[in-house]
This record gives sequence, structure tokens and C-alpha cells, in this order.
Amino acid sequence: MGGEAILEIQQLEAGYGEVQVLWGLSLRVAQGRVTTIVGANGAGKTTTLRAVSGLIRGRAGRILLEGEDITRLPAYGRTRRGLVLVPEGRQLFPDMTVMENLEMGAFAPRGRRHMARNLERVFTLFPRLQERRSQKASTFSGGEQQMLAVGRGLMAEPAVLMIDELSLGLSPLLAQQLFSTLKQLKDSGTTILLVEQNVHLSLALSDYAYVLAEGRIFTEGPARQVAEHAEIRTAYLGL
Amino acid sequence: MFGVLASMMDGVLVGAVYGLAAIGLTLIWGVMDIINLTHGAMIALGMFGLYLLFGHLGLTPYAALAPVAAGGFVLGVVIYWVAVHRVIRRPPLMSLLATFAVNMVVIGLGTAVWSTSPYNVAFSVPGITWHGFTFTGAHILAAISSVMIAGALYLFMRFTRLGKAIRAVASNRQAAELMGIPSNQVLAIAFGLGIGLAAVAGGLIATLFPFTVLSGDDYQLKSFVVTVLGGLGNPAGALLGGLVLGLIEGGVTPFIAVSWTPVIEFVLFVLILIAFPQGLFGRRAER
Repeated sequence: MGGEAILEIQQLEAGYGEVQVLWGLSLRVAQGRVTTIVGANGAGKTTTLRAVSGLIRGRAGRILLEGEDITRLPAYGRTRRGLVLVPEGRQLFPDMTVMENLEMGAFAPRGRRHMARNLERVFTLFPRLQERRSQKASTFSGGEQQMLAVGRGLMAEPAVLMIDELSLGLSPLLAQQLFSTLKQLKDSGTTILLVEQNVHLSLALSDYAYVLAEGRIFTEGPARQVAEHAEIRTAYLGL
Repeated sequence: MFGVLASMMDGVLVGAVYGLAAIGLTLIWGVMDIINLTHGAMIALGMFGLYLLFGHLGLTPYAALAPVAAGGFVLGVVIYWVAVHRVIRRPPLMSLLATFAVNMVVIGLGTAVWSTSPYNVAFSVPGITWHGFTFTGAHILAAISSVMIAGALYLFMRFTRLGKAIRAVASNRQAAELMGIPSNQVLAIAFGLGIGLAAVAGGLIATLFPFTVLSGDDYQLKSFVVTVLGGLGNPAGALLGGLVLGLIEGGVTPFIAVSWTPVIEFVLFVLILIAFPQGLFGRRAER
């Protein structure tokens, strides 16, 4: 897969109540690369990110960030170490302004230390947010909300930025624009773990891909190879 | 006629304190969806806290408000970890029973220490006499203190990092955790603030009227009425609601016996619930 693994997930099992979703999932995210998890609906992509970010507790397995075991840390503790999730459905604070949402992104010490620099970076990536900095997040369109969600994640000074369903509910044009922003992030060296239903966009951006089926890794490989693999295309990606 | 007007104005002064008490209740509701039934007991503790600091340490009542608030805050944080922490996001009955249990314990201990006989904080500040009607200094200062404390809370919630974190946790706890905000600690602080406000309101009420260990209950009920008037989870509405309740109380007391006040208040309570389920100034806390 190339590059040093900054995030390593070993034999992760997780689920909700009685229902187990992940059955011993292992994957590695290389420093400075974009890694993507693709797979059909219900394969466990979002559950993976929820377990890795600490929103749900894994039942077995280990999660290592920069070689340190963070399996037992609560969600806020993982963010403080730099494992940052931009969650599905954006999950903004609707009654708070754009600035306040971004400030909350920088709540943890590592984000607060670099707040001015990251704010400038976010405003450069998304000039729209700067124009509307004192507007409430609830007044935003879907695309703008997603920009704010990504910007808020960047404010945390992520070591690994995990993004869940960036393109969900957006027009193809907007989705493409946001992915070109991710490309800029990638070029500046940000490590990204992407879960995305739009397989075309995610495989085109990514360096390495895992194909998830029924809570297990079905296959993995360089994103370009996965994209060209005929059997994967029909059986797991619905292309 | 002028007497009624003056009585209503005096009622508004007292109503500001009701509003302050109700802000404590509505803050806890708005942030963690818990109806805090220890509210009355905490108001009573604030009354006795002020009584002790004034009577035994000789602090002026207004200087005593600061330690009363701090004590309420610390006690609130303790109660949060002991009784509230585990029942958040559980069925409402659990948090009602948990906070009611704490209420009973505190009232029981208080009764053992102070019995249920009345106490009062005996001091006087010169008032203002206007066309033969005297607004006592205590009423005026209590109203000013309440409005100032409510204003300080507003500034805290609006502009400080911690205040914003409380709003973030109230709005979306999971998202707040993803920002690196330790939501349990933040909730403990918010609960402490709510209890601190109840205690301060109790301290201010002690400067206005005689009280017993059980008096907190009356003011807890008033807080409910005020909260419903102002819209649950809306602190600014709670202050306004307090003023309205005080105005009504002031308006009716010249005509009927005091024992009728609760009847009128609760008829009002039910009517408002039916006619304006969101409260008069209401906007349901978004979730």
C-alpha cells in the first residue's frame, strides 16, 4: 500500500445492540494518502467510521493511531489525538454561526494552537464561509453545510481526516466541486480516510481502496486496480 | 387605582427573581432534557446559605450571593455525577425520580437541621416612596441583581468558549464529542450553573420574604409556571415569564387573600399549556 500506516485497525468487531455489523475488519491508512472504503449499502462503511471515531464502542479489535492504542479512548479523546470525523449528515450546530461552528471545531488543544492558520486555510478553500461567517448554519444550503462540516473538521488540525458520505444529497456538480477541494487537501499532504457511496469520485481521488462486504474486507488494492476489476465492479460496486 | 398599579410594579420587581430561578430550571432542561426536581430544595439551600452567611459571618446579603452561587455550583456538579449522569437520555421518569429522590434527601436533612419553622434575614435598605407607595430597597436590589446575573449568564453563553461548548453539547452531543468536547464534563458544568442560579435566586428570595426549609417547593412551582410562560429551554423567555408572573401576582394581591395566588397561577399555567403549548415567548429547543 506504500507509505507508513498512521492509522491501523485490527480485527475490529462492532454493531448496534444485538446486531453485529463488523466482523473482524482490518485496514491501514497510509500517512499523506487518501484511503477509501467502498461497498454496497449496509456493508458497514458508516459503522466502521463510527467505531473508529469512538461514537460506538467496538466489541473486539484494536485501533492504533500513530502506533498508539486508542481503542479505549472516548470519542472526544480520539479527536484530541487528531483522529477527526466529518460525520454523515454534517451534524452542524444549526443555531450557531459559521464562526462559532468553526471555533467548536478548534475546541481541542491541538486545533486551538493553530486556530488562526487553520481559519485562514478554511477560508481560502471555501471563500463562501468567510462571506457568511456570522450567519447561522441553519440558513445554509446543503452544499454550504457540507463545506462548513469539512471546514470544521479541518479546524481540529487532523492527523487523519475521516469523511463520511461527502456527496450525500448534493448535486453532481457540487459533489465534484467538493471532491476537487479534497484533491487540494490531498496535494497539501492531508491524510484522508473516505467513505463514499459515489464510487467513481472516491476511487478517482484515492490512492488505496478497501472493498467492504457484509462487515468484512472483501478485497483491497490500489484504487485504480479496484476500479478496473470487473468482478468487483459488478458484484460490489454496482457499476 | 394607583395602589394596584404600584402593587403591579412591585410584583415585577419580585418577578425578576422568579425569572432568575426559572432560568436555572430551563437551562438544565434546555441543555440535557432533564426536569430537575431538586430545584426547590436548591432554592431552599440558597435561602439558608444566605441566612447563615449573613447571620453568622456578618456578610451583607448581596456580598453573600457570591459564595451562595459558588456553593450551589459545586453542589450541582456533585449531584450531577451522583444522580443525573446515568439517567441522561433514559426515559424521562428515571430522571424525574432520580432528581426527586435527591430533593427528598436534601429536604429531609434540612428539616433535621433547621426544623420547619420560619426564618428571615433581617436587614433593611432604604426604599423609594412614590405617591405614598414604598418600594422597599430589598425589592429593588433583588430585581437589579437578578437582571444583572441573567445578563452575565447571557454573555457567558454567547461569548465564552465554555458557554459555546455548552450550547454545542445542547444542540448535538455526538457532534460536540467529535469536536473534542468532553460532553460529560460540560453537562456537569451546565447542571452546576443551573443549581447555582437556583441557589442565588433562593438567596435573593430570602432577602424578600420569611422562609422555611419547605419554601423551596412553592418557588419550584412558580419556576414551572414561569418556564411554561417563557417557553421551555429559553432563558430569555424565562426572565420575561418571571416578570409577567410577578405582574399578575402584584395585580391580584390587593383584591384577594394570598392563599388564592397559587389557584390563579395554576389556572393560568393550564390555560397557557392549552392555548400556547410552546409558551408565550416560546420556541421549542431544537433537537
